[in-house]
Amino acid sequence: MKFHIQQAVRAVILLAFSAMIANLHWTGELTKYINPKYDNLSKTAAILFFMLFLVQLTRVVSKTTQHCHHHGQACCSQHDHGQSPFTRKKMLSYFIVITPIITGFFVPAKILDAAIADKKGASFILAQQSQNSKIEDYLTSNETIDENIYDEHEPDPRLMEEKQEMTKKQYDRLKQQLSQQTMLKMTDEDYTIYYEEINHNLANYLGKQIQLKGFVLKEEDFSQNQLVISRFLITHCVADASIVGFLSEFVEAPTLKEDTWIEIVGTIGQTTYDGTILPVIQIDNWVTIEQPESPYLYPINIRMSF
Amino acid sequence: MDRLQLPKLNFWLAFIFIISLLPVLLMNFSELKSFSSSLLSLHTIFLSILIEALPFVLIGILIAGFIQIFITEEHIERWIPKNTLLAVVMSCFVGALFPACECGIVPIVRRLIAKGVPIHAAIGFMLTGPLINPIVILSTYMAFGNNLKIASLRMLIGFVIAIVVALLVSLFFKGSQFKNSVALQPVAKDDKQTSFITKLINTCKHAVDEFFDVGKYLIIGAFLAAFVQTYVSTKALVEIGDGVSSSILVMMGLAFILSLCSEADAFIGASFSSLFSTHSILAFLIFGPMIDLKNTIMLISVFRLKFVLWLVAFVAIVVYVSLFILSPYL
Repeated sequence: MKFHIQQAVRAVILLAFSAMIANLHWTGELTKYINPKYDNLSKTAAILFFMLFLVQLTRVVSKTTQHCHHHGQACCSQHDHGQSPFTRKKMLSYFIVITPIITGFFVPAKILDAAIADKKGASFILAQQSQNSKIEDYLTSNETIDENIYDEHEPDPRLMEEKQEMTKKQYDRLKQQLSQQTMLKMTDEDYTIYYEEINHNLANYLGKQIQLKGFVLKEEDFSQNQLVISRFLITHCVADASIVGFLSEFVEAPTLKEDTWIEIVGTIGQTTYDGTILPVIQIDNWVTIEQPESPYLYPINIRMSF
Repeated sequence: MDRLQLPKLNFWLAFIFIISLLPVLLMNFSELKSFSSSLLSLHTIFLSILIEALPFVLIGILIAGFIQIFITEEHIERWIPKNTLLAVVMSCFVGALFPACECGIVPIVRRLIAKGVPIHAAIGFMLTGPLINPIVILSTYMAFGNNLKIASLRMLIGFVIAIVVALLVSLFFKGSQFKNSVALQPVAKDDKQTSFITKLINTCKHAVDEFFDVGKYLIIGAFLAAFVQTYVSTKALVEIGDGVSSSILVMMGLAFILSLCSEADAFIGASFSSLFSTHSILAFLIFGPMIDLKNTIMLISVFRLKFVLWLVAFVAIVVYVSLFILSPYL
C-alpha cells in the first residue's frame, strides 16, 4: 500500500471547490456574483467537482508503487498525473488554484458601486440608450393617453413568476398597459420593461409620475442639481454588468453622496445631454433607503416562438 | 511540463503584485479606503468570472477526457478529410454545431490535436465553437431589440472569418505546435477488454489531470480580466474610437480585455450600439468569442508562444480587414 500525498492534495482541492460553490448557494451570496437564472449551471459545477473528487479518491492509495498500471491512463506524458516530485514551482501552481477557494470562503462579495460605474463610462451609456426614442410620435399619441386613468396596474403575478420569463404576447400587452397609466411604479421585476419603454417612446410618458429606487451616481460634467438614479443590470455575471438609470434633477442633489440609495417620486420630462434627447426626472419627493437585499436587476427573458 | 513555463508565471505574478502595490505606497487614508474597496470589487468580479466559467470548463475537460479514452487515432484519421480546405470547412461546421465557451474549448482542442487532428482543423473548430451556437444566436437576437440582422451577420461573417483564419494557419504552421514541454508521445491503445465503467472512471481521472493543467491559467486569466475591468476606464478607450478604422480597433480591444462569455457579450455590445456603428459592434461580437485575454492565457499554456501570437494576429487582422471592407454595406 502506498499513500500518494499529491493525489490527496488534489482530492482535497476538488472537494474544496465543490464546497465553496455549495457554500455560496447556501448563504445566498451567489446572487452577488451571477444572475440567479444560471443557478443550475453552478450547481452542476459543484456536482461535477464532487464527482471528480470521488474518482480522485481512488488514486490516493494504490496497492503497488508501480506507475501507469491502468491501460486507459496509457502512460501519456502530455500532462502531469500528479506523480512527479513535489517542487516549489508546483507549490506555486497549487497555490494559484487554491487562492479563489480561500477568498471565496472568507472574502465577502462586494456590491458594485459608482467607482465601477465610472470605469464603465456611465454617462456615455445613458446618453445613447435613448437615441432611438421616437419623439415625433408625441403629437399623435398624446390625445389617447387619458382613457384609463384609474386603471391602477399591479404587476400581473402570472407574468412575473419566479424566473423572469414571459411570452412575447404578454410582454407586448404589458407595454401597452404601461402607456395608459399616470403613475409608474418601477419594481425590480418590471424595471427593465419600463426602462426600455420610457426610453424608446419618451413622448408617451412626458408629464407622468414615476416612482423608483436606485443608487446615486454623478458625473463630472453634470450641473449641481443633477444626478443619476442608477442600477446595475446583470446578464450573466457581475463582470458583464451594465448601468441603467435615469438622469434626475432636484435642488438637494449636492447633499447626496455617490452610492447613497434613494427612493424617489418625480415627474418625467426631457432634456438634451451630449446632443441626444433623454428622459429626466424632476424629483418631487425623496428618501434615503438601505441598500436592498438584491441590488441588481436581471433582464427579462422573453420566450420566443419563432 | 512545469519546468518551462513557470519561471514566466513567477515573473508575471511578481510583476502584477508589485504594480498593484506601488499605488498603495503613495496614498493617504481616504485614498487607501477607496483602494481597498476597489480591491474588493476586483475580487468580486474575479470570482464571478470564475464561477461563470467553471461549469463550462468542467464540461470541457470531461469531453477532453472522453476523447482521450474513447476515441482513437484511427477514428480521427477516418473522419477528417485529407484535403485541407475540406478539413477546415468540416471542422468549422462541427464547431458551429458544438456549443462551447471559449475557455472550455481549449482543453478539448488540445486533446483533439494530441489524437492527430491536424492543426488547421482544430483551430477552425476552436474558433466557431464558442461563436456559433443556439444560445449565442438567441442572446444576440434578444440583445439587439429582437432583430435578426445582427445575429445572422455575426454568425455568417464569423463563420467565413474562422475558415479564412484556419486556412492561414494551414499555410504557415504544421505539426501540433504544442510547447516542447507538452511534447507528444504516442498514446497506447486501450485494451479491448477494458469495461465501459473502467473507461468512464479513466475519463474522469483524465479530466482531473486536465483540470490541474488548465485551472491555474483560467484563474490567472480571470484575475487579469477582472483587474482590467476594475482599473481601466472603458470611457477613455471609447473616446479614442471615432473613424471607421479606429472604432473597429477600439471595439476589438474592448472585446479582448473584457473577456466576456460569448453568451453574455451581446448585451454589452448592444449597449454600445448607438455610440458605434454596426461594423464595429460586429467586430466586438466576432472577435471576443474567438480570442480574448482569458483564453489567450489558456492557449499560451498549451501552444508555443510564437504560434499563439500569430494566431491572435491572424484573427485580429482578418476580423479587422473584413469588417473594414464590409463597413460601407452594413
